[in-house]
Amino acid sequence: MPTPLPELCAPLLAAVPAAVNLPWRPFIDPIDVHRAWYLLIVPLALGISIVYKAVRVGDMRQYPRQVAVMTVQIIGAMALLGLASYLLIEHIVPAIFPAR
Amino acid sequence: MTESAAFRPLHLLAAIAFPGAGHALAGDIRRAALICGGVLGLFFGGIFIGGIDVIDRREDPVWFYGQALVGPVAFAVDTLHQKRFKVIDPQTGASRSAYPTEGRDPATGRAVQGGTPPNQKSIGKVNELGTLYATLAGMLNLIVIIDAGFPSRRKAAAPS
Repeated sequence: MPTPLPELCAPLLAAVPAAVNLPWRPFIDPIDVHRAWYLLIVPLALGISIVYKAVRVGDMRQYPRQVAVMTVQIIGAMALLGLASYLLIEHIVPAIFPAR
Repeated sequence: MTESAAFRPLHLLAAIAFPGAGHALAGDIRRAALICGGVLGLFFGGIFIGGIDVIDRREDPVWFYGQALVGPVAFAVDTLHQKRFKVIDPQTGASRSAYPTEGRDPATGRAVQGGTPPNQKSIGKVNELGTLYATLAGMLNLIVIIDAGFPSRRKAAAPS
């Protein structure tokens, strides 16, 4: 199992305590979401849907529903792609090419 | 079917200048506001996630090609990053991001040991996602620009 990024960085971070203790500055420094990065797909999918449907939808009364549907479609499709990748790498490939 | 029209160069230029301005010029204020909020929300959302480091025409030129489609705003942020946040390496004279133990001399822009870095460089997934947000904002704005200059036939509401 790969070493988590925070553990890999620990020696480096310990060597530069001054930088680690800096206060976070919005829009200048990155946010600390290394453990929950996958949740960022939700606002990403929502943003994509807001812009795309603003261009595509003719009747703006349908707009909120169309945005919601597209957001769910993107998140669902990405989850399915993730599941498919997992099954392929962890189960299907090892079944076809067993380890010696 | 609705909204079929000929090429509108003024609307195209307005859309290039600022996200949603082309649609605003056409009088579609609500659509323009949604486009502007969505594109700029994604662009600045990316900067919020990955810091100003995600907009970097010199270190990540391929990603910046996509981000540049947001318009002058992207170039302004990149200029701010290059001129106000990067440091000049004392040895090579090249512009680069400050190391965690370095500061920036505001007068010369040169790296100085022991100061506070102007910005923290983002790494890993946070950098990737921040960059992706900003690049997708540009790619979506390209669709918006094309729609402003060459108005599409939008689907009318289905009869109830």
